[in-house]
Amino acid sequence: MTIDDLTNQFTEFQAELKSYLLRLTASIQDAEDIIQETYLKSHEKIGSFRGESTLKTWVFSIASNLARDLLRAKKRWPENVTDICKDAALSDHDFFAEAMHIRKTSTQGNFEIKEHIALCFTCVSKSLPLEQQVALLLKEVYGFKVQEVAIIMGQSNAMVKYYLHISRGRMIEVFDHRCALINKQGICHQCTELNGIFNPKQKAQEELVKLEMVRDAEDKNKEELFNLRMKILQELDPFDSGAAELQLHHLEHNRKVMEKHLGEIG
Amino acid sequence: MITGPNGKAVTRKAAFSRETGVSVNIEADASIIWALLTNATDFPRWNSTVISISGRIQSGEIIELRSTLDEKRTFKLKIKEFVPNQRLVWSDPMGSRVYILEKAGKGTQFTMSEKIGGPLFPLFASMIPSFDESFEKFAADLKKEAETIQRSKN
Repeated sequence: MTIDDLTNQFTEFQAELKSYLLRLTASIQDAEDIIQETYLKSHEKIGSFRGESTLKTWVFSIASNLARDLLRAKKRWPENVTDICKDAALSDHDFFAEAMHIRKTSTQGNFEIKEHIALCFTCVSKSLPLEQQVALLLKEVYGFKVQEVAIIMGQSNAMVKYYLHISRGRMIEVFDHRCALINKQGICHQCTELNGIFNPKQKAQEELVKLEMVRDAEDKNKEELFNLRMKILQELDPFDSGAAELQLHHLEHNRKVMEKHLGEIG
Repeated sequence: MITGPNGKAVTRKAAFSRETGVSVNIEADASIIWALLTNATDFPRWNSTVISISGRIQSGEIIELRSTLDEKRTFKLKIKEFVPNQRLVWSDPMGSRVYILEKAGKGTQFTMSEKIGGPLFPLFASMIPSFDESFEKFAADLKKEAETIQRSKN
């Protein structure tokens, strides 16, 4: 493996890696810092790459270790993160003023419900223990096999299966309880509320039925609905879409609110 | 250590002690069973005999356990032995609970036993409920959960 090979292959999966790091850290700055550091470390260690896994798995392993080192000392977010952040947003005039400015001026300022679903998952999945969050993202969103996740995390296949089993179960339970898109009794309607604010002329229901997860909510079981939620995340690049800037602004807001809520900043 | 036939609990009584044990073959890797036995907050999800465990199940730590055996009491237990994928022991002044994992064919032999006793044991022996049913449920729940995880798709 030469440096040129590394650079070429790194370029091919760089967007996926950056997306993973954003969803893991919920921070644009951290994702960008870690991806740079990952490239430098890969460059430095390429001589020790023996081809026992794919280069992509090896690089994701380096990135995951850097991210875990950063996140280990941080607290988990609560499962009702979106409620807390909504209250904070409603009392923060600047948040909506900035969001409206992005909405009106940016080519990536659209509001799309599926993008918000992905953002919501990023926030809620931070309520999982870190190892479970890492395993879940790698397997369910970025398509790594259990064995590859085990290599990336430096864990046994059995332990990865355990992490996946309980993290999936927990997320299914949380979204079934909270998400009004899949459960009429769900307590969170933020997607449709925000759609009303950012797309006042659009009928939310017409947008919602375009989503398989919503359209088939009554016919599919919780496991299948979770898989459809993951499909939404798989198909979106949070840095590269017509809604990216608006959603990244929202994510940055939520992260700052959480850091304050958890006492991580003054 | 006392154990009965696969999944059945056995109790042996003596003047100053009582010991209950259960053993079951689980078609899962020891590391899956170990993960289940050492994740304190996750216990109530899969184990119908546990109401809650707080604290960390790690060497030298103290945990607080509430069990369906006596819902009003909270047991303060110290983790005495912690050998990953092999052996876990927690105890209080009344006695010790020992968990042992051994390779058995493609799976793992799980054994759990608890010995309680001491000089004053005869005074309160009649007040302590039988552990047999609870041990059998524990072993069955663990087997079911570990095998479900083992079979989950790759």
